[in-house]
Amino acid sequence: MSEPMVSAVASQMDRIPGADADGFFGIRFESIGGLGAHLAGQILAEAGVLRQGLNGAHFSSYGSEKKGTPVSSYVRFCPAGSELRTSSPIERPQVVAVFHEALMRSFDVAAGLPADGTLIVNTRAGPEQIRERCGLASGTVVVIDALGIALEEKTRPNTAMLGAVVSHCPFLDPSAVRETIAERLARGHAELIEANLRTYDRGARELSSMTWPATAESAGRPVKRAAPAYGYLEAPAGGVILDPANSIVKDLSTSRQGFLPSYNADTCVHCGICDIVCPDLCFVWSDDGEGTPAVRLLGIDYRYCKGCLKCVQACPTGSLTELREEDGWAEQHRVPLFPWPEVERSA
Amino acid sequence: MVLAPPKPRAGRAAQVVGFLSGNEMAALSAKQIGFHLMGYYPITPSTEIAELLDEMKAAGEHEIVMVPADGEHSAAGICFGASTGGGRVFNATSAQGLLYSLEELPVQSGTRYPMLLDISTRTVSAPLDIRGDHSDVYFALDTGWLVFMARSPQAVYDLNLVALRLAERPDVRLPAIVAFDGFFTSHQKRRVLTFADDETVRGWLGPLPDTVSALDPRHPVTIGPYMNDPDLINNKYQVERAMGAALGALAEVLAEYEALSGRHYDAVDLYRMEDADIAVLLLNSAAETAKDVADRLRSQGIRAGVISPNVIRPFPACTIRAALRNVRAVVIGERSPSFGANGASLSHEVKSALKDDPENRTLCLSRAYGLGGRDFYPEDAEAFFRLALDTAERGAVEVAFDYYGVEAGDPGRARARRGAPALTREEQTSGLISVEPGPDGRLQVRTPACWQLAAKPKRLVPGHGACPGCGAFPAIDQFLRGVEGDVTVLYQTGCAMVVTTGYPYTSHRVTYLHNLFQNGAATLGGLVEMFHERVRRGELPAGEDITFVMVTGDGGMDIGMGAAIGAALRNHKMIILEYDNEGYMNTGSQLSYSTPLGHMTSTSHVGPAEDGKSFHHKDTPQIMAATNMPYVFTGVEGFPEDLLAKAAKAQWYAKHEGTTYGKVLVSCPLNWKTEDDAGVEVVQAAVDSCFFPLYEIERGVTRITYDPEAIGRRVAVADWLELMGKTQHLCKPGNEAALASIEAEVQRRWLRLKARNDHPLL
Repeated sequence: MSEPMVSAVASQMDRIPGADADGFFGIRFESIGGLGAHLAGQILAEAGVLRQGLNGAHFSSYGSEKKGTPVSSYVRFCPAGSELRTSSPIERPQVVAVFHEALMRSFDVAAGLPADGTLIVNTRAGPEQIRERCGLASGTVVVIDALGIALEEKTRPNTAMLGAVVSHCPFLDPSAVRETIAERLARGHAELIEANLRTYDRGARELSSMTWPATAESAGRPVKRAAPAYGYLEAPAGGVILDPANSIVKDLSTSRQGFLPSYNADTCVHCGICDIVCPDLCFVWSDDGEGTPAVRLLGIDYRYCKGCLKCVQACPTGSLTELREEDGWAEQHRVPLFPWPEVERSA
Repeated sequence: MVLAPPKPRAGRAAQVVGFLSGNEMAALSAKQIGFHLMGYYPITPSTEIAELLDEMKAAGEHEIVMVPADGEHSAAGICFGASTGGGRVFNATSAQGLLYSLEELPVQSGTRYPMLLDISTRTVSAPLDIRGDHSDVYFALDTGWLVFMARSPQAVYDLNLVALRLAERPDVRLPAIVAFDGFFTSHQKRRVLTFADDETVRGWLGPLPDTVSALDPRHPVTIGPYMNDPDLINNKYQVERAMGAALGALAEVLAEYEALSGRHYDAVDLYRMEDADIAVLLLNSAAETAKDVADRLRSQGIRAGVISPNVIRPFPACTIRAALRNVRAVVIGERSPSFGANGASLSHEVKSALKDDPENRTLCLSRAYGLGGRDFYPEDAEAFFRLALDTAERGAVEVAFDYYGVEAGDPGRARARRGAPALTREEQTSGLISVEPGPDGRLQVRTPACWQLAAKPKRLVPGHGACPGCGAFPAIDQFLRGVEGDVTVLYQTGCAMVVTTGYPYTSHRVTYLHNLFQNGAATLGGLVEMFHERVRRGELPAGEDITFVMVTGDGGMDIGMGAAIGAALRNHKMIILEYDNEGYMNTGSQLSYSTPLGHMTSTSHVGPAEDGKSFHHKDTPQIMAATNMPYVFTGVEGFPEDLLAKAAKAQWYAKHEGTTYGKVLVSCPLNWKTEDDAGVEVVQAAVDSCFFPLYEIERGVTRITYDPEAIGRRVAVADWLELMGKTQHLCKPGNEAALASIEAEVQRRWLRLKARNDHPLL
């Protein structure tokens, strides 16, 4: 914790360009556990505070989430002389960065974005496609193939995302973030510094963006808050859950990080080993009593598959293989595990 | 408080700017204080404090003795014992951890041994919720401890130093709590200032003043005698006087701290209260949010202010009384319930302070808010101010106490039943498993091939939130496949509990019960006895036949060891199934007693001054076997032939004879630092290296069920260790001694096991 060089420009700023009415500039990362969004937020905030002399805060949404479940990370900046007191989540960020594209399928990643806000997405799609998928009326959409860059550089996409974010926060000094990345890696992973800095630079460079200007009528995106499942007049007393096994209405496909098992029925001997090793209990069997064996593997309910590939590892006949997931493939090849319509309706 | 840039003035010590969270500030202050010892047990959200201190210790940055306890009750005992030895002692906890150690708190204060306890506040269970409110720290209000409230990461650091200095004064000599908001403060990084040099902190605190020491054989003392009336009341009055002395000395200590740091604190933080008409009184982070709103209201001509005590024990009644003298209405918001009391402690203490001022006309309202970590937004603070304003204008209190932020819902709303229908007994009975007592006294078991059970409906269903590749679920599912008929499960706190029951969802298709992990075995024992009694009384059908299975992690078999042994000794007819992933993975991979030697966890780091976990893994099956329970077994995920047969036997014994216990080794890719798909390979290597032998103990007779040596599959311990990121260091040069120690222990236990296998009397 030495005293870093403080940028004179930033420390003398009395208002961050683009800040909200309270003087804060908010950045929100939308990701799933395990992709490094929390760390990226920390680096960004640390660079702004320790290297640029801004005042700032960083925190992430916490529940008992595990790897693969949605997580939001927040960075709040204000000028050096301003008070930063509130610790509540950033509901109206100026910039939203989506680390995991699949999240856009299941919830409104852009919630609370003002009419002139910036949405940055890790994707191979173009800005128009993303705007359309999100239903964004106005603002700036930035796309960056952070995963592609990370695969080429053998790094992680979070560093490329940082590059893209900094390029759209003009008050942030790109070199301050670069130095923070290098300093962090120097504590034990010095060999990774060069590739990560390349990843960061490419993130800032290889993006494309389009802006749809806000008009006088443009309203920002509405804010979303979690609502309780039940009110106190209707919740069963004692916090009990009266519906057995109701987690089957959930969709866990966003937990996958780009890979899933593909099943070839032609070579399968229906030994049941995949079913034994699967943590997500998503193999679908028939028991019609005909042929040998009587129990046959029909396929996988990809709605619950988190893509761990334990089944691929365990399959003795090579009938389960690793596949790079393309959009829509899982929906096409999915075999529903449960026959009940309400489960399908909530899919 | 505005952070001044670090420019040392006369008398002020050099400071550095940092960007740290509340937990990081707690750990840093502890390191700089240089406590002799920290006794702790991990619990979210305070766990990071011990983790960070362990990490610093591994790096050689401090010499605090770090003692990982087997539960918070033990941690508090370790701290009490250590403090009687005359050194400085530190602990950190949250929620249930505080409550589990609660009986020790008055012991610490009643014997007058100062120490520091940081509470990263969290909601008290049940229901279990890891996020922050103040319901935990409120339980400590009457324990004779000083209680400071730290509103920000900066305040955590500052008040840790202030609290300890006050606590150690010879006229005070009381232990001290510093409580800060779980997650809001514990996990939020802010710009902070800390002293550049540890010596600044140590110099300011000075040496621990002499106290009665248990480590001075030349001056023998009796600490903790048996004391009845008429003496006891005088002892308690001494504590009361010490509290009074603490309140009297606080301003002096705070002034000394300001001289050193440049940061000003009062017993009560008063924000724009000089001329306030209306006010809110809030503790910690919510008060900070309210200050922003007070500024906004002031700009609209509303004279709003915020009152926020920095210390609540001793309670600064005079300051609060003075601050409210001219205030027309105040809303006292409390992040804690106090059921049936029309407001929690602070509300009543404020009202009581005002009652002592006959001139006071302030209208007081009390609101419980933010329970379970519910966020407190600026509009919530504004709602409190508006409530105060309306009350002031009305001139009377309309609703003195209420909950803020609750939702009624619509009881008439039709809700379709979701999820799966209950399983029938027939669906849970494959008929493919048979268990018969054999002529040699052992059970003869016939189990089907994997595929034959694949289509059988599962008692656990998808939709749970475990990490990709989690080994616990395949293992629990495999085990349950070997159990026929109706099943009721109890899960102790842990990963498998948390990820299967996130409200309003459950992944259990059979009846499920949770209790905190020091007590699951007792709880299930009670349910088992109730079942049999109600069948006997004819209140349940005579044919009702439920198998009771408790599921626990290896952590639950540390803190819950006593309850598990108690249940086994009482011999309730139930199964205890432990999924062992070698650590407290639910809370972020802290060491458990089942973590093997040298393994890297977040409380057993690897660095120049530390080599991973310092003691060997607990041999839980042998401990449980010593209760002479009818059946003990071990198993692994991904070896169904072995585990199915053991499940079938465990069920038979649990129905016919009593308690059975099994430990199943399961992978945790995240914290073992392996690929998601590597679990089965790693646990196979654990078995083939004889680190985790597969065996059973049936009515006291041991039988190895899979002998890697006999089939030429034994591998070196290093072949197993090099498969995991958490142990790769053990296979590198410089760690030969640790590796040799693991090998020797594995071999010693294996040879003893083989001897038992070969001799029925061992």
